[in-house]
Amino acid sequence: MRPLDPQAQVRLVLNEAFVHRKAVAIGGALLALGIVVAGLLVQQGYTASVTLLADERNIIRPLMEGMAVPTEVVDRVRLAREIIFGRRIMDQILEIGGWMKDNPSPEEQEKRIEAVQKRTKVSTVGRNLIKIEYKDVDPERAFRLADRMGALFIQESVITQADESRRAYEFIDKQVGEYHKKLRAAEEELRDFRSKHLGAGPAIEADVGARMAALETKIQESTQALQEAQIKKKSLQRQLSGEAEVATVLSREGQYRARIAELQGQLETLRLSYHETYPDIVRIKQQINDLKDSIAAEKTRRETAKASGHVTIDDSVLNNPMYQALRKDLSETEILIDTLRGRIAEAKRQIAATLERGQRQVGGEATLAELTRDYQVNRDLYQDLLKKREKARVSMNLDVEKQGLRFKVQEPATLPTQPGGIRFLHFLLAGLFLGVTVPLAAIYAKVTIDPRVRVGRAMGESDRVPILAVVPRYWTASELSMARAELARLGLIVAACGATIALLTVLRVLKVI
Amino acid sequence: MSKIEEALKRARSEKNLPVPQARRPETNGDGTGSSSAETDAETARGFDLILRNRLAGSVAKMRQGPLTDATALIERRIIVPDPRAEGAADAFREIRTKILRKAHGRNCVIMVTSVAPRAGTSFVSVNLGVAFALDAAKTALLVECNLRNAATARVVPTLADEQLLGLTDYLEQPDMDISGVIHPTGIERLRVIPAGQIREIPAEYFMSHRMRSLVDDIRGRYPDRFVILDSPPMTQAADAQTLAEMADYVVLVVPYGQVTNAQIDACLKAIDPKKLIGIVFNNEPRVEREVWRQIPREAVRLIRERAAYAWQRIVDSWTRLIGRLAH
Repeated sequence: MRPLDPQAQVRLVLNEAFVHRKAVAIGGALLALGIVVAGLLVQQGYTASVTLLADERNIIRPLMEGMAVPTEVVDRVRLAREIIFGRRIMDQILEIGGWMKDNPSPEEQEKRIEAVQKRTKVSTVGRNLIKIEYKDVDPERAFRLADRMGALFIQESVITQADESRRAYEFIDKQVGEYHKKLRAAEEELRDFRSKHLGAGPAIEADVGARMAALETKIQESTQALQEAQIKKKSLQRQLSGEAEVATVLSREGQYRARIAELQGQLETLRLSYHETYPDIVRIKQQINDLKDSIAAEKTRRETAKASGHVTIDDSVLNNPMYQALRKDLSETEILIDTLRGRIAEAKRQIAATLERGQRQVGGEATLAELTRDYQVNRDLYQDLLKKREKARVSMNLDVEKQGLRFKVQEPATLPTQPGGIRFLHFLLAGLFLGVTVPLAAIYAKVTIDPRVRVGRAMGESDRVPILAVVPRYWTASELSMARAELARLGLIVAACGATIALLTVLRVLKVI
Repeated sequence: MSKIEEALKRARSEKNLPVPQARRPETNGDGTGSSSAETDAETARGFDLILRNRLAGSVAKMRQGPLTDATALIERRIIVPDPRAEGAADAFREIRTKILRKAHGRNCVIMVTSVAPRAGTSFVSVNLGVAFALDAAKTALLVECNLRNAATARVVPTLADEQLLGLTDYLEQPDMDISGVIHPTGIERLRVIPAGQIREIPAEYFMSHRMRSLVDDIRGRYPDRFVILDSPPMTQAADAQTLAEMADYVVLVVPYGQVTNAQIDACLKAIDPKKLIGIVFNNEPRVEREVWRQIPREAVRLIRERAAYAWQRIVDSWTRLIGRLAH
């Protein structure tokens, strides 16, 4: 079946509507009339509303910026709903609404409260406006209850909020107390440790290092000086021994050797003239031997002296200045060596002491760091809590002084004059609209759903079998006049319905019904 | 209303005859506007014509009966070359043209059948015959084959008298001459063979040799005569199938808003596609201007009539009351 173009569809619907003209006209007229009558009968509800402004731009706010924590706007509707639907306000509302006159049972009360809650709507309008709407069949009661709900809500919200703030403050205050105790304990421990490890401190390590370095340097310097002094001592000893002995030998042996040489000369001279047996020669020879013995004795004595280490200062060399100076130097050097040795030993002892002390210090350092850390953490938390407590105190004071989130009646409730919801006008318009469209829609539905062929073109195998012609309905003269009479009758019925609707509307507008 | 009443009165007084209980033809009706007043009017008019025909003499013997006037034809839903019947007349002319094109101008036997009963087969058959007859060079013969629901007789003006011999009589009586069952109508160049007196005949009649020879005979007698078989609906009887074999062409009538595509397809499958000439979509409702014209006047008349009636009732009752009081 090929789809029809819209024009053909409209024509089809109109044709079919004409076929069912009685049903369409009477059905439509009755439907319209019925809806209008229903509109007259439907009970109208009156809605009264009160709009509250959550005032957050008060004088205190800029002063308290970042200090106090005012209640968030987003929570307000939830808060408002909780407060309004709470038993405290609802009980009063039941009283005001006159629902408690017949002393209802608790269950009955609950039911009535539920009914009131159903008719109450709490919503936000804009950023900080809260609208409380209440709907009732009695406009006066609607007004009264909406008004009271607003007032009770403001009153209740102040109490609730102050209570909340106070509880928050109390909690934080308690926390502050606990942290204060902890902080005190940490301080105590730290102090104990300090008193036990006097001088302990973070500088010790560096100090030990520096001291060690200084001592090492000192040892090095002293060692070097010691070596130098020892070399000097050796050299002096060598000089002293050598020099002194040579000088002594020269003085005594020299004298002997000079006498021998002199005697040799004389001997030589005598030998030239005399025989060996010449007494002079013999004497001279004797003398030379004696001298040689003396030299040997001297040598032996010197060797002995050398061996014994005892330098026999000869009378002849006693006055030797060089020797004296060397002796002095030697003695000084020896003293220096002794001094240096003592110094090095002292420095080494000090290094050992310093090292030992340093090792002892490192263990205490870790404990100290831990104690200090504990103390710092506790101190930070405590300070933070102190700040928070002050904030909470201010918030609490704000709420207590009614300076926090404050509700003001922005738009007070008024006595509703027009019923809300679907009004008679809506019923009237709907009736007229549906009276026309519903029958046509029904016809359209019928034409669409009914599989029976209504359009020549839509026939199944019309592609194969040609349609010879579409024969329109053939109206006889009498049928025409009958149809006209019927249409006139239907027209009169529709007109009568229209007139009834118009009359009802006029009566409604004039408040007769 | 006054016109109708007049007609009734005339019918009763002048001829002094009982009003026959003829039913209004329903081949093209959807039930609307069916009231006793209308039926009466129609009957009266038809009656008038029959009387005239009777007075004119033996109808059967006449080559051409007296002609029925256009208004009466419209009342019987027969197309006339008149603006009042424009839509339907154009449609039937179109059908005629298409059939002629298919038959290449030669005369033929056309069977008109429908998908479902009450589809308007008789309406289409009669008017197709009339459409052929409107052409001065052609004649048409309508054969009423729907024996169970012989509606043609009620459509064609002359046949309202059901005493005329017809198809069944011819088939029953072997010695009957064919001219005895061909009757003139009130329409020029249109003849008819009615169903006949005997209604309870089995389908086998149509299979008989005599039926076949009848069809051949009436087709062959005049080369300008178009034979139209008003057949029962396809779905109702096997007759339609038998008749289709004898016919040259088959026209299927599909009524508006009564049958589904599936039904149409089933019928189309049952018909020999070579003979099937096409579908006639019948009785499509059109909201024609003609219908809407004069409605306000009608409404005013209606109100006035009711008011007058009511007033008359009041006056009557008062008169009665006063008379009674006076008495």
